[in-house]
Amino acid sequence: MQALLVLLAIAALSLLASDRRVLDPGRSPAMAQLAASGLLFLALGAVMGPDALGVFSNRDLTALRPLLALGLGVAGVTVGLNLEPRLLRLLPRTVYVAALAHSGTAFLWVALPLAGPLLLTTGLPARAVVGAAALLGAAASLSSGHFAVLGYRSGRMERRQGLSVALLTMLDDLVGLGVLMVALTFGAASHPQEGLGLVALALLLGAVCGGLLAFLMHGLNDLGEVLAVLLGGVALVSGASAYLRVSTLLAGVACGATLMWVGGRAVNQAVRVLGRFERPAYLLLIFLVGAHVHMRDVLAWALLPAYLGLRFLGKVLGGALARRIAGLALGLPPRLGYALIAQGGLALCLVVEYLVLVPGQLSQRVFDVVVAGAVINELLGNRAFQLVITPPSQGRRDGGGMP
Amino acid sequence: MRDALLRLLLLLVLLAAIARAQLWRVDTGTSVALAAGALLLCGLFAGKVAKGVGLPRLTGYLLVGVAVGPYALGFIPGAGVKGLELVKGLAVSLIALVAGTELQWGLIRRVGVKVAALCCVVCGVTFLVICGTLFALKPWLPFLAPMTWGQALAVSALISMVVVSFSPTVTIAIVQETSARGSFTEFLMALVIIGDLVVMVGFAVAAGLTRASFGGGLDVGGLLGGVGWELFGSVVVGFVLAVCMLLYMKRVKRELPLFLVGLCFASAEAGARLHLSPLLVSLAAGALIVNLDQREGERIHHAIQRAGLPIFALFFAAAGAGLKLDALVTVGPAALLLVMLRAVAIYGSCRYFAPAEDPRLRQYLWMGLISQAGVTFGLAALVSRTFPDFGPQVEVLIVAMITTHELIGPVLTRRAIQRSGESHSDEAPHAA
Repeated sequence: MQALLVLLAIAALSLLASDRRVLDPGRSPAMAQLAASGLLFLALGAVMGPDALGVFSNRDLTALRPLLALGLGVAGVTVGLNLEPRLLRLLPRTVYVAALAHSGTAFLWVALPLAGPLLLTTGLPARAVVGAAALLGAAASLSSGHFAVLGYRSGRMERRQGLSVALLTMLDDLVGLGVLMVALTFGAASHPQEGLGLVALALLLGAVCGGLLAFLMHGLNDLGEVLAVLLGGVALVSGASAYLRVSTLLAGVACGATLMWVGGRAVNQAVRVLGRFERPAYLLLIFLVGAHVHMRDVLAWALLPAYLGLRFLGKVLGGALARRIAGLALGLPPRLGYALIAQGGLALCLVVEYLVLVPGQLSQRVFDVVVAGAVINELLGNRAFQLVITPPSQGRRDGGGMP
Repeated sequence: MRDALLRLLLLLVLLAAIARAQLWRVDTGTSVALAAGALLLCGLFAGKVAKGVGLPRLTGYLLVGVAVGPYALGFIPGAGVKGLELVKGLAVSLIALVAGTELQWGLIRRVGVKVAALCCVVCGVTFLVICGTLFALKPWLPFLAPMTWGQALAVSALISMVVVSFSPTVTIAIVQETSARGSFTEFLMALVIIGDLVVMVGFAVAAGLTRASFGGGLDVGGLLGGVGWELFGSVVVGFVLAVCMLLYMKRVKRELPLFLVGLCFASAEAGARLHLSPLLVSLAAGALIVNLDQREGERIHHAIQRAGLPIFALFFAAAGAGLKLDALVTVGPAALLLVMLRAVAIYGSCRYFAPAEDPRLRQYLWMGLISQAGVTFGLAALVSRTFPDFGPQVEVLIVAMITTHELIGPVLTRRAIQRSGESHSDEAPHAA
């Protein structure tokens, strides 16, 4: 009862925090940043979890798994819907190379050095550690574009630069999802082949659901019916993948991408409808992610400084590399790495998915490190971003057209 | 119609594939979200198919739920359906809130006494018929046979009180679907709602007597306190809820459907845990709002119509999936006999005692009183929990009756409304 009421209160709070007026950087930049990052919800979840105040017991968290699956499904479908083929085709190859170079550098800087300590502290087979280290690297490679978006919306950053940074962070997501596939292939089953089969099943399930959803929505004119079909579709793909114990996030992405590719005009309606739920669902998901944190794992705390430091170096180097490759094509700002310090919500989705599908001490440690890291990176990210911002007038003189 | 059928078939094929894939996964995860998504989508398109063949949408929701549920095709696991219990309270609350907004003071003044009088007659006659039959069947019913005559009489009375109950949920959903308006519809709705109150009081008294007959002692104070808390406590909480809603609607004015869904969910869950009636809480809230500010009452009505479709489709499809078809096989004959006797009793009392000034009441009202759903389920489960010696067997019998009533009730209710000439179904194609 207590947990249910708290969850309802958080749901109400997530609705308030998703209000357009709260997210408007023109009114209150600090409030907008806090609401956009979801940091407060993550911290609230961690404080109310079983390891801190205990408002949510482990049993509550198990009972809330369907809600977690739904949140991951919404996140996945939203990412998938952003994969617009026309836009992806228009991007020059250098942009992809730059994105890969930037996220790949951060990935390698974190995954390779931390594989050793993980292997030594857990005593698990190398195959399992490869997956866990890859996940740490994937989470490190992801960045959040919300500072850039808020920056150009509030006029503190030149628009072209802001959009370029946001574009790079969106392409990072694809790298992160690719690494999740690798990690699940090695960790989610007893054999890599079986793991690969499960990943393929998740993608196939998502694609089938996406195709079916596009067909179901075709020709529906009533907004209420569109809403019902979309909610049902997201619940179906999330629920089916959670039931078959395959990746909900990957299935959701495949579903959203298929819907975007074959859905035609119905997709616009879907995007509009889902847009109303995206942020509240995300904030609720972030809260639930926070509640899964184990605060008493000393080894996770010991790993955290190394993870943060290596990620910072990886981002700075990766940012410099990306700017060298696509600086002219995108108009990326100097000190790009500093703009990429804040960590995206997808990083949290990746690790919570890993925790659910590959339960155990190792995945819990990876999860704890990434969640704690996300909070610290978010705090650091604000400061780091100040170093990137150029005065708008100067930016306008330097800037060209849209990326 | 053909489109809807094709879409429904494709959904069923996908569900069959998921059920097949599950066979080679040794350890499966949670099935609640799967049940929610599948039942919502299947219910939605089954409702369209049902409408295409002239049946209520609600029957489509129920039938597809039965088909894909654990007792028929088994595409959806029982645990998933059970996990959707939370939706039940929410849907009942939303439906009751809409019903409350229909209860204007003018209407209560106009038909209140007549409705209450007829309700007592219908409930009384049905109670006597069912109680007498059960008592007469004592030697043949396994759970009654070993009891003393006094105990058998008390248990018969307890079961009869449950069997008497109506289904405001189904009635209001059908009224919404058909956009019915008029004196007949008002009378029918008021009767099923008041009927629920009569059953609540009667059930509490019968349960107290049954407990006493089994040696538990008759606690009159506790009995009255329990009934009083459930009735008056619910009304008071409902009034508090109404004030909250009015404040929100006047001050915040944003995302009303989401606000109502959240508030109804909270009130249903909290109400159930505090032994209040979620139906009465929302009913009182809706009635107070419409009598204080009619415009706000209408806003609530529209908001729930906008947000209600997924919730109602899911609720009724989940109810269908939860129907225990195997119970029909084991206690089928006794349940069918009771179903028929209940129908005859309701028909007879309406035919002879309904107000004569409106001939439609005498002709068609009985059809609107056949449905049974949430309240009856709840009372049956309560009997099972309170009296573990014979309760589970009673529950099976009542669930078998509900299964029959769920399948024929909505069709009869819609027919009653259509024959009364108050249906405007074309104007509300997307309601419940």
